[in-house]
Amino acid sequence: MSDAIHVEVIYALPDRPEIVTLTLPSGATVQRAIDASGLLQKFPDIALGKANKVGVFAKLVKLDTVLRDRDRVEIYRPLIADPKDVRRKRAEEGKVMKKGGGPAEGAEATADAD
Amino acid sequence: MLSALIVMAGIAIVLGAALGYASIHFKVEGDPLVEKIDAILPQTQCGQCGFPGCRPYADAISKGDADINQCPPGGEEGIRKLADLLGREVKPLNAENGVEKPKAVAFIGEETCIGCTLCIQACPVDAIIGAAKQMHTVVPALCTGCELCIAPCPVDCITMETIPETVETWKWRYPVFTIRQAA
Repeated sequence: MSDAIHVEVIYALPDRPEIVTLTLPSGATVQRAIDASGLLQKFPDIALGKANKVGVFAKLVKLDTVLRDRDRVEIYRPLIADPKDVRRKRAEEGKVMKKGGGPAEGAEATADAD
Repeated sequence: MLSALIVMAGIAIVLGAALGYASIHFKVEGDPLVEKIDAILPQTQCGQCGFPGCRPYADAISKGDADINQCPPGGEEGIRKLADLLGREVKPLNAENGVEKPKAVAFIGEETCIGCTLCIQACPVDAIIGAAKQMHTVVPALCTGCELCIAPCPVDCITMETIPETVETWKWRYPVFTIRQAA
């Protein structure tokens, strides 16, 4: 188990996410996984290290991070909206921004829906 | 007299050995009924049954702590299968737990997403790709349609999109019998 790791590389476009499953030698980096996935050839728009950042399970990582078994390498896309603008607009419309999303609030909302 | 004692003792030894062998080699890990119930549940992990996921609900059903009609995503078909498995009466879905809806997956409105990661933390099945200040995207193949991401979103950019019935998504349905209302 120590000589090979299984990872997924995923590039999510809104209508068709691309998921590539790879087996790499242990000690492989994020960069290596992305190179091996062939997603850069398939989507020439991806600009690693510039517009498109990468991460593992929703945490941003650098390209030279060493992967662990069963990691999911995710190639992100930049935001379209400016968070500040969205907040300002919502404030002007009189909508309240909810804070946090813990289980308590989620449970409340489900109760409301019922 | 002596031969009778020897025969009885011999039988006791043989049967004891057989029971001891069986208890070691045919030992069942956990409750197999829970596995069967869990296999019927839709694995949306939505918590609408009042338990933190499908497995805890399956546990509760097998122990008798929960009824079989508390799973809205499973719907009438799920209740029927559970009733078959457990030899119980089929009953209508408990309205307190919600209503049966057509299958849907979450979709993130990219124009309003601010990359706050709150939906990612809420997702029980890691179906949302994204990180802080990066665009979030739902992977429809992983999304179970549990709707747990909708409430935490501070900008209300997540909508549920019904999956249209196509050749790829169509499944053979369990025969549906209408439930007679109890008088």
